[in-house]
Amino acid sequence: MPEACTTRLDRMLRPVHRWIWQDDRRRVRKLLRFAQVERDGGRDILRAAEVTPDPLLRRLYLAHAMDELHHSTLFEERGVALLRGLSPESRPCFETSGHGPGGHGLDDLCVERESDDALLAFLHVAEMSAAGRFAVYRDVVQHDPPTQAVFEAILRDEVFHMNYTYSQLARVSRRQRPRIWRARVVRLWKRWLRAATAVGGLIAEVGLTVLYFALLPPFAWLAKRAERREPPGWSPVPPARKDSLKSQY
Amino acid sequence: MNILGISAHYHDSAAALVIDGLPFGAVEEERLSRRKHDADFPVSAIEWCLDSAGLDPDALDAVVFYERSMLKFERILTCALRAFPRSWRAFPKAIKSSLGEKVWVRGIIASYLGVPAHKILFTEHHQSHAAAAFLTAPTRRAAILTADGVGEWATLTVGHGERQPGGSTSISLLREIRFPHSLGMLYSTFTAYLGFPVNEGEYKVMGLAAYGRPTMIDRVLRLIRRTRDGAFSLDLDYFDYHTTAKRSYSSRFVELFGPPRSPYEPIDLDTSEGQRFADCAASVQRVLEDTLLGLARTLHEETRLPDLCLGGGVALNGVANARILAESGFERVFVPPAPGDGGCALGAALYADRVYFGNPDRELPDHPFLGPSVDGADLARVAREDHQCVEELDDHALIERIADDLVAGRIVGWMDGAAELGPRALGHRSILAAPHERQMRDRLNRDVKSREEFRPFAPVTTVEAADRYFDLPPGGTRLARFMSGVFPVRPEWRARLAAITHVDGSARLQAVDREMAPRLYALLQAYGRRTGIPVLLNTSFNVAGEPIVNRAREGYTIFRRCGIDTLVAGSTVVTKGGSLPSKAS
Repeated sequence: MPEACTTRLDRMLRPVHRWIWQDDRRRVRKLLRFAQVERDGGRDILRAAEVTPDPLLRRLYLAHAMDELHHSTLFEERGVALLRGLSPESRPCFETSGHGPGGHGLDDLCVERESDDALLAFLHVAEMSAAGRFAVYRDVVQHDPPTQAVFEAILRDEVFHMNYTYSQLARVSRRQRPRIWRARVVRLWKRWLRAATAVGGLIAEVGLTVLYFALLPPFAWLAKRAERREPPGWSPVPPARKDSLKSQY
Repeated sequence: MNILGISAHYHDSAAALVIDGLPFGAVEEERLSRRKHDADFPVSAIEWCLDSAGLDPDALDAVVFYERSMLKFERILTCALRAFPRSWRAFPKAIKSSLGEKVWVRGIIASYLGVPAHKILFTEHHQSHAAAAFLTAPTRRAAILTADGVGEWATLTVGHGERQPGGSTSISLLREIRFPHSLGMLYSTFTAYLGFPVNEGEYKVMGLAAYGRPTMIDRVLRLIRRTRDGAFSLDLDYFDYHTTAKRSYSSRFVELFGPPRSPYEPIDLDTSEGQRFADCAASVQRVLEDTLLGLARTLHEETRLPDLCLGGGVALNGVANARILAESGFERVFVPPAPGDGGCALGAALYADRVYFGNPDRELPDHPFLGPSVDGADLARVAREDHQCVEELDDHALIERIADDLVAGRIVGWMDGAAELGPRALGHRSILAAPHERQMRDRLNRDVKSREEFRPFAPVTTVEAADRYFDLPPGGTRLARFMSGVFPVRPEWRARLAAITHVDGSARLQAVDREMAPRLYALLQAYGRRTGIPVLLNTSFNVAGEPIVNRAREGYTIFRRCGIDTLVAGSTVVTKGGSLPSKAS
């Protein structure tokens, strides 16, 4: 049976993690972010419980999902408790106006497209990775016993999640090891895609910002001038727009 | 003629299929993807529509998108230019988002469905709202008022529509108020300021408003002014939504109203801070009502029509709708079950059918049950596998049994037939409970819905009994058909309807008739025979942050993990029993 073990990378990054978790504001942000990720992950696993034809897996997924939703609550409660302890000036600002639709967790899992064995392998790898990471976090928040207790509680559940996904994978698939390796590769590929998308997005933003300042000022001047001429209140609906449905304009 | 309507890319994506002038099916993508307010291109919803009709995409005569994407892009670009240089952060994100997918709608539809480009049509956003409101309402001639955050440029339109029986249909939108001046955005800005998620938390603001007094109306009126032509304009110095996607309100707004609420802090109405937020909600609610009422009165004077069709997300504000009905001069007010963007898919398809193709008018079914059906046998199988107590009963026995459960204080998950289109559970995907005790409200909030204490629950009753328990104006029963109005509970019944009576004595009522939801109607009657009060508490069958359930299995999952005691799907009744696997095993 697998155990929660920290990776070499996590051990190497321990000073970085310590630096991140030492700051109250960053700790609040991290905990609240984890709450969101656990909530999204929990919903994915609930979906798995809804779509699996296997009765035992359905029950296990449901128990797992409820754990994840409970973890979300633990993270959020701790994050909010820390948030309350911050002075009003140092509180991070949380925007609610940029609200988007509910997410699918960090790994953008699409449960409907996965077979049970692929999903179990994926969950096993994800839980093992999370457990290793949480073990590091537990160690670097020794100065904050309540947060440490949260990680302790969650780690206990993660062991159950790792174990059941491993044993159930053995039950539903003869090719347990290759499945796990495949899940690792897929996860790595998704991480690469995420990183590439982020870098691509950054490059695009830089390019568009340059364009914004280089090309837009005269058009902006014209747009502002036109805006000043617009009367407030009602505008007639142009008849040309009403007639044809062929145009996107 | 087969016409597919699609709405997508902002929030509440949906697809609707109209066959020979009648809606065959319509569903929001979130119900199938299980992502609340899913904005992605509605692949699953389209597939469900076509599969359930047995149609290939080749058989479609037209595919109608609910707005003009390039016109919307023009608005985004123009607003970025107008806000130069303050928009420098928002500009790259807006352009990336638009050019990444949103402006290529024709190509996306053509490549996904394989239909030729000439079959792809575009209505305007508010045309879609207007069509969804007018063409689904049982009226021949009506004034039309649509209001939401923003479509392409329009944020509010007025006009009128006319349908000749078996003949032609016309919808004329006469004038519009254009972005950034928007009633929807005004309300959403307060939603964000009060710490609720935009496009989802607006009804929380409405619920919170009942706890406050409108003491800040003068301050809200500094944000919104009536123009000389009877419209309104916003003082944009108080807003940021037109320059950035990150924040709706500006620092001047905060100077005027005080610090915003953190979304992580509960609202404690016993504190001055909590009361300030409630007063703020009450003030913007009152201003919204007064503004809408003024516009509706003018429209009534202009058209002299007895009927008004309301569309757009603002039409989900039941308090405002009830005031419009009572005070604007219109005799009847029609609000469709899905007045928001989800309903635009149906509106766009109907608009193309009646107005663009000129097909003759047909009477539409006057109900919202256009989505996937629930399968009781599937529930029975899954529940038996989990060693739950399962019964299969005929209709009469089931109704009597569930009425007994409700009288005994049990909470019932109720799934019946096709799912509703729109955000309201109108009797096919509902959680039902006894409405008498306040403790039931607290129990539902705590054990089932996991939501804020201040939020009220809605009642459902029969059309015949509605007037006995609720103080309805003429036309109120119609507005209550799709739970679109908030009305006073009659004072003598408030103590006995404590779970559904809001703090200000009101309730967002649904009044059902036998034709619309026969099984729910029978259940209300059976409950009435036992208690003397044929009223039930009716809340949407979901938990916080999740879409309303669609299939039986989704209802079953919620049933297993929260405090619902009895689950019904079709003729199957499941009672709680058994347990989840232990961690030691």
